[in-house]
Parts: sequence; C-alpha cells; structure tokens
Amino acid sequence: MSKMNPRMEVSIGRLKLRNPVMTASGTFGYGEEYASFVDLNRLGALVVKGISLEPRPGNPPPRIMETEGGMLNAIGLENVGVSAFIRDKLPFLRDYDVPVIVNIFGESLEEYSRVAEILGRARGVHALEVNISCPNVEKGGLVFGCDPDLCCEVTRAVRAVTDLPVIMKLTPNVTDIAELAMCCEAGGADAVSLINTLIGMSVDIERRVPHLQRVTGGLSGPVVRPVALRMVWEVVKKVSIPVIGIGGIVETEDALAFLITGAKAVQVGTANFINPGATMDILEGIETYLIRHGMGDVNELIGSLEV
Amino acid sequence: MPRFRKLHTGQILSNREVAKDHYRMSIAMPAAFREAAPGQFVLVRVKDRAFPFLGRPLGVYAQEKRGGENQIELLYRVAGRGTAVFALLKKGDFVEILGPLGRGFSLVRGRDRIVLIAGGIGIAPLAPLARMLRKKLPSAVTLDLYYGARRADLLTGLGTLRKSCGTVRLATDDGSRGFRGPVTELFDGELKNYPPERTVIYACGPHTMLKRVSEILGCHPIPCQVSVEERMACGVGACLGCAVETKDGGKPYRRVCMEGPVFDINEIVWR
Repeated sequence: MSKMNPRMEVSIGRLKLRNPVMTASGTFGYGEEYASFVDLNRLGALVVKGISLEPRPGNPPPRIMETEGGMLNAIGLENVGVSAFIRDKLPFLRDYDVPVIVNIFGESLEEYSRVAEILGRARGVHALEVNISCPNVEKGGLVFGCDPDLCCEVTRAVRAVTDLPVIMKLTPNVTDIAELAMCCEAGGADAVSLINTLIGMSVDIERRVPHLQRVTGGLSGPVVRPVALRMVWEVVKKVSIPVIGIGGIVETEDALAFLITGAKAVQVGTANFINPGATMDILEGIETYLIRHGMGDVNELIGSLEV
Repeated sequence: MPRFRKLHTGQILSNREVAKDHYRMSIAMPAAFREAAPGQFVLVRVKDRAFPFLGRPLGVYAQEKRGGENQIELLYRVAGRGTAVFALLKKGDFVEILGPLGRGFSLVRGRDRIVLIAGGIGIAPLAPLARMLRKKLPSAVTLDLYYGARRADLLTGLGTLRKSCGTVRLATDDGSRGFRGPVTELFDGELKNYPPERTVIYACGPHTMLKRVSEILGCHPIPCQVSVEERMACGVGACLGCAVETKDGGKPYRRVCMEGPVFDINEIVWR
C-alpha cells in the first residue's frame, strides 16, 4: 500500500472498523450469499440479516414491489433463528477477518435480552445491532422503536446482558427521531444506526389489490435518501455517540454526503441488489475522493458539513 | 487474490419484436460471463438508467460461447413498465447483466419419453433445454413439445423447435392454429401415451397452466420439473423477496433465485 492512501479506520465506540463502509441488515443475507462477489475482508463490517430467538418463516408472497427509485418489501423477518445461526451461519464468517454485527429483534423485552445474551457468548460476533424498527411483522420491534421510554428500556435490557457494542437501529416512522436516539444514548447504546425503511404501499389498479400480500411494506432505495440524510443530520446534533447512516446509498457520492453530515460510518443496503459489488465500488470511491481533496484521514471528512 | 464474480456489462447487438409484445434481444457479453445451463436466468438492467431500478429476471434463450465471442439471446414479453423500457433499447445500447443465476433443469436418467409443455413466453427456458437434450440424448429418446399461446402469431421460434423436437403439438386459445384451448388440455388428451416410469416432463408457463399440469399429474405420477416466476430483487438468495410457497411445513418458503427457478412440481403449493 502506498503512502498516498488515506487512512480509512473509524471507531464505532469500542468497535474498530478498517473503513466506514458496512452492509445493511437484510440486504446481504448471512454474508455467504455475496462471498463470491465481494471480498468480505475488505468490508468495514458485515451486518447480517435480523435474527430472532426462534426461526421465522416470513410472510407469504408477493413480498416485494419495485417503486420509482426504490422498492417496497414485506419479507417478514424470515430467519433461521439464533441457534441455527450460530451453528450453521457463523462458522463461515469466522474464516473471514471482518467484524460481524448481528442484527437482532424480538417480540418482547425478554426475547431481546435472550437473543443478545446468547449471541454475546458466541465466538465471532463483534457487535449487536438492535432492530427496534421493523414495519413488516405484527411485533417487529416497531412498537419499541416508536416509544421513547420503551426505546430506553430495550437498550438497557440488551446492555445489561452483553459486553458487545450495542447499536440501536431506528425507524424513520416517527415524529422526532432525535428524541428516540437520545433515549437510546441514555439507555447505554454505543451507537445508533438510521434509517430503517419508511412504511409505504402500492396498488395493482387492474386487479384492485395491493401489490404486497401484507398490503404495506418498507420503502428503501435512492428514493428515501433525502429523508435519511435529514434524519441523520437531526440526530448527530443531539447525541454524542456515533451515528451510522443508512438509506438509499447507491453511489460513492451518497455515502460521502452521509459522512460529511456526520455519520461515522454508512451501511449500503438495497444497492447490493442491483450491484453485488456496490460496497467495494463505494469504498474505492471514498478513497479516491479523499485523495482528490488532499485528506489523509476519512475522519477529517466526517462531520465536516458547514451550514 | 481470488477472482470474484461481478456485474457484467453487455452491448445490445439487436432487439427486435418477433411477435406482438414479444422481443428477442441479442447481447454481446464479456468472455468472463459463464455458460448458462438451460433454465438458468439473468437479471437485466439498463446501464446508467434509474428506471427500472431492480433487474428483471429473464431466462437465457440461447448462448453462443466460443473463442472470444460470447453472445446471449433473451426472449421476453412486455409485461409491465420495466420490460416496456427494454423494448425501446437499440443496437449499441448497454445493459447490466447479473448471472447466470439459479438452478436450471436437471436430466433424469433412464427415461426415453421426454415431454416439454410451454405456455406463452414459457417457451424461453424450454427452447435451450430442447436443444441441449437433442444434442446429448440418443435418438431413440423421443422429445415431444406441447406449446400453447393465445394466438397463432405468438408462437415463436417454431423452426428451431422443430429441429430439436420430434413432435411439436400446438394449441391456441382462439384456435387460430393447432388445438383450440389450453395446451394442458391438449396434453391431457395424449397422457395415455406416456407411461409414468418411462416419461419425464419439463414445463414453464403461467401459474394457472402449471397448476393445471399439477392437477393432471395428480393421478398420473410422471416426474415433472417446472420453472416458476416471482418478483425478484437480488437474484443471489440474500433478500428473500422471491419466495415461493412449498409443501414443506418446517420451512414453507423457497427462494426462486437460489433453490429455483426450477422446482419439482410436487414441491410447490399451487393456489
């Protein structure tokens, strides 16, 4: 590596990342699905699909629908459950030198703590991202994510049972996202990540039925980016813990906008679906940008927004 | 340093309407694009265009791969706004291609009566299968195609299909060519000629057609592989968007992009 290459390391609390480009939960499977496309070792971190205490079959199809500049999904948190994850999915990831962040969710405080506790003991898990924001199941955590007191309680519950860094993933389907971020900080979160999907809907006018079997779904893709960026801006002003920016990041420019706004790291989500190598393209693009702007360290860029 | 698979860029050589709303797109692909097995598909996007956002899954209709040349052909029907954009593409335009993806058709040993049942655009994955089977199997193995469409002009590629298949039976909804009615009823009438222990069926077509095939085979257990469609995003098994319901109570959904698009007809719940 030449001396010209800028430093890309960032810290999310105690979690050290070799660069700020991570994958977003639910868009990168358990990592293995993309291992033939992406050198997983080059990722800042790999966030796997949301894991619950018991396996979940997910929602009946159709589960997705394209919209202008994005897509709606109602997958329903289909996952193998925490035991099978540790037994069948985690060993594959241990062969890589990449921080593995496990996204977790539960239907009750107890379930959140149980999953967190089990994963806290598993070898090869580097942090937890707590989903308090899934819009696609009856009790997908959204109830926790919308209520300031519950937000704080879930954070404390997870915090109490594990030493792993805890990242709280926030929903945009609220009036004041910064308030909820502050509650997570007060509860002991190491970081917050935002945004999860925006609740949306789409109708087949010929058949006069919803496009999604579950009627509503989570909107993601470039279409949500301005909303996500605005919310990151609102949150970075109010909390002192690191903020991870998520929402419609497809190109290098998108990731840069989040970093400049103050996100310590970014997650690339829906973009993986249209370009499996999106994370690598964005990573290289950030390096090129830093060189072009004469910056030796990505941390010089983070939060450099002048308003 | 391991070599990684990547999103390919292809350049359109031709894109012409072969029947009303049916197009054949021929694309020059880089040498690194692998050979597609019959039944495998690709995800197609228009390069540097915001819409359609997600790639559209299209079966590989033909592929010519030798030396530095690597050409694929896609046969598609304009079914919505995404494929309508594809229809406007011209020679020289660039497309992004991810693939080949999914599990294609598999050969079943010890069967000497092979039946292909195609409905409409469902011919797309079956045409390369017919070519491959004809090349691989001894001439004593019979290959019968049952091919239905709404009207005569929508039956495409018959010349080539006749070269692969010993028997080609046609059906149209309006009776403008061949049997009048669903291709499944045409096949049902010939069912007695196919002993279950000697026969294998490959089918692709609309959901209602495949469902009917499944009913017909309910009391006539011939092994049958079907290629199914579902809305899809990633194509590599990560997003779980393309779920299809199966009879496996423990794990009710399968991914069309990974475990499919070809399934055993008995695996799937036909609603």
